[in-house]
Amino acid sequence: MATGIEPIIERFGLLDDPAMKLDLLLGYSKKLPELPEPYRSQMAAGLNLIPECQSPAFLVTEIEDGRFRLHADAPREAPTARSFLSLLTQAYDGADPAEVARVPLDLLSRLGLADRLGMTRTRGLDAMLRRVQRAAAQPDAQS
Amino acid sequence: MADYAQPDVLVSTDWVAEHLTDTETIRIVESDEDLLLYQTGHVPGAVKIDWTNDLQDAVVRDYVTAEQFAELCAARGISNDTMVVFYGDKSNWWACYAFWVFKLHGHEHCKIMDGGRKKWTDEGREMPTDAVSYGRAEYTPQPINADIRAFRESVLEHMRVGGSMVDVRSPAEYSGQMTHMPDYPQEGALRAGHIPGAQSVPWARATNPADGTFKSRDELEAIYLGEKGLRPADEIVTYCRIGERSSHTWFVLKYLLGFDRVRNYDGSWTEWGNLVGVPIERSAEPGVPPGVSGR
Repeated sequence: MATGIEPIIERFGLLDDPAMKLDLLLGYSKKLPELPEPYRSQMAAGLNLIPECQSPAFLVTEIEDGRFRLHADAPREAPTARSFLSLLTQAYDGADPAEVARVPLDLLSRLGLADRLGMTRTRGLDAMLRRVQRAAAQPDAQS
Repeated sequence: MADYAQPDVLVSTDWVAEHLTDTETIRIVESDEDLLLYQTGHVPGAVKIDWTNDLQDAVVRDYVTAEQFAELCAARGISNDTMVVFYGDKSNWWACYAFWVFKLHGHEHCKIMDGGRKKWTDEGREMPTDAVSYGRAEYTPQPINADIRAFRESVLEHMRVGGSMVDVRSPAEYSGQMTHMPDYPQEGALRAGHIPGAQSVPWARATNPADGTFKSRDELEAIYLGEKGLRPADEIVTYCRIGERSSHTWFVLKYLLGFDRVRNYDGSWTEWGNLVGVPIERSAEPGVPPGVSGR
């Protein structure tokens, strides 16, 4: 079920217009799977939120039967965070942790989104990315 | 709203709903923290202005020039005498920032829709996703209104004479426990703390979290005058990390409380905390600037 990140980078690469890249990103917000329990309750209780993010973005990662699992959510009023979490989920939920550990940390630049979003907005998204990368590279070091 | 120093600067969601078709004289502008939010639905007829892509220069750390600003407005059907009504996410934080940039460029008729995007959506009002465009307008570039913007040299001088300042960042940033956001050292500053003498009032204290509206004049006076001892005749500098949250407080002090001389220091902590040799107070107290005797 995990597609890996390369097909996603290729899809963004096919578009030249930055506005179309943003539309493609926004499209991911509609594909985010509904958060299952107990995570939904955790999010409602304010647990596992990403502090760097301006909006209450929720992210839990774990290794389950040798596979990387991602449980994420963000409110509809925060479509950028929601879209990016959905994109990461599509790429990596169920993937080999070693593959997730190799996620390019300059992903937003590779998607052609970094300049358009601006430094302040990419901060929260980069924090998500780093958290995912770290969790896959050092599964035992998770907080 | 009627009790504010300049009550006309705020309009209600009801007022906006009644004026949606007055597009000859009024332009509704959405300005958000989240770049994608406008596309998910907006006030009918509203155009989008993005603070990163539209209001700031792409290379130099500065705002667009008067000519670029005129083009931005003309392309959205805004002329010099159009009334521009701003609204946005996060209790109008970014709407106030856009308002400030419009005032910087001398645009006369600017208003804020109280409660912003949240109040409009919570009231179940229409939020179409259609693309909005208007015929091109004529816009004549105006001189920059330097009275509302503070640069670092004047902030240093303001500090040396014991001038009033409001730091609107979080308490952890103010007291210097945090130089930057975790994982993002290049986004922050090399030194942590605040400008000596600055009072701490996190920007969101001016809002009602339930509906995103501004607090009443009495409640605002209790914070800024009562608790912090600021006086409406004082010269005040507001700042945050990059000057956006502080434009919200600038708006509150100038228009809702009637402070005469308020300037926003948009260089803010990402400039001050990286400057060589400037004084910094690293505690939860305002501290006393060098050369100023205790108050």
